[in-house]
Amino acid sequence: MAHDREVLRMIWEGQIAICFQADGDEIVGLKPEPFYLMVSRLSYLPLVTDKVRKYFSPYIPNEHQEGAVWFDFNGTPLRLHFPIGVLFDLLHPEGDTAPWCLTIHFSHFPEETLVKLNTKELLESHYMSCLKEADVLKHRGQVISSMQKKDHNQLWLGLINDKFDQFWAVNRRLMEPYSDQESFKNIPIRIYYDDDFTYTQKLISPLSESGQKKNLADLMAELSTPVRKAVGIRTHGIDLHEETQLQWMSEHMSYPDNFLHLSIEYKNV
Amino acid sequence: MADAEEAQSGSTSLTPTDKDASKICILLNATGNVPIIKKRTWTVDPNKTVSWIQKFIHKYLKLDASEQIFLYVNQTFAPAPDQIIKNLYDCHGTNGKLVLYYCKNQAWG
Repeated sequence: MAHDREVLRMIWEGQIAICFQADGDEIVGLKPEPFYLMVSRLSYLPLVTDKVRKYFSPYIPNEHQEGAVWFDFNGTPLRLHFPIGVLFDLLHPEGDTAPWCLTIHFSHFPEETLVKLNTKELLESHYMSCLKEADVLKHRGQVISSMQKKDHNQLWLGLINDKFDQFWAVNRRLMEPYSDQESFKNIPIRIYYDDDFTYTQKLISPLSESGQKKNLADLMAELSTPVRKAVGIRTHGIDLHEETQLQWMSEHMSYPDNFLHLSIEYKNV
Repeated sequence: MADAEEAQSGSTSLTPTDKDASKICILLNATGNVPIIKKRTWTVDPNKTVSWIQKFIHKYLKLDASEQIFLYVNQTFAPAPDQIIKNLYDCHGTNGKLVLYYCKNQAWG
């Protein structure tokens, strides 16, 4: 695990340029200039947009000042509890290098489509649940439950304050196979097909029935059906090589919630 | 196995033939000071979300609007409200059932 630390660092440092615009219908007076920001792919919109909110709030009428803030891209409301990199990869056209233009809203929160995880406290609790679920899949939950509250805090603070060493000092323990094992029990994985944010989660073992380490070609075979063949896998904006081992992927390319978030490209047979 | 057409709240109607094959069996356990639902085993549409189940329990127990239902999988973690039952069952189901715990206060962090 330790020798591929540079990969961890590169994944951690991945950023996205975002251009935030006001919602024309919410503004009083002149429409403000857009607000540009570089954000971490691994973070969540409510964690990185304090500045954006402050910038636009003087243009917002008083009755909406305390409203639950949300964002949309071309009319699609963005899940506040999905990592920003996952949202970007699902919605952003490949090869487009211009900043990602999002609209910020202070009112009319779309309760029907968006889960209202809009504060740091709610997101923290959601994030810890993801870690627990991932550890149930990897180690039957034994590693996370042996940790103390201060370790959990250290993970969260490392993530929200962008402190790589602080985060990995604890996350390392979650990313090691348990005791004498060579791999996890199952790989925490979420598989996205298209841009509607639905995903599939199922039990994916890192090992084949004969005990060999599975790679992405094996995963694609597992996800293919007689009519639909998986032909490519992407995460963090990167096309993945099909010889990459699943166990290695899980240890090095998971998001901070300890899940691999993979987009699968299919071809009809 | 007990059927749970009530759990559908009449929102989708399923024909008797595809009902059993496509639905997922869930086991609801009360925990803490929450009223008990006598009928513990229900079958639900695999694409229903966690928040749909929470609303169902809330309505079934006739709770106040101010009261909240928390759901946990196998006494370990709280799934996201927009997570679908199929994903939870495929990863955490045991013996053909998905075991869920519900309560009015946060139980397992």
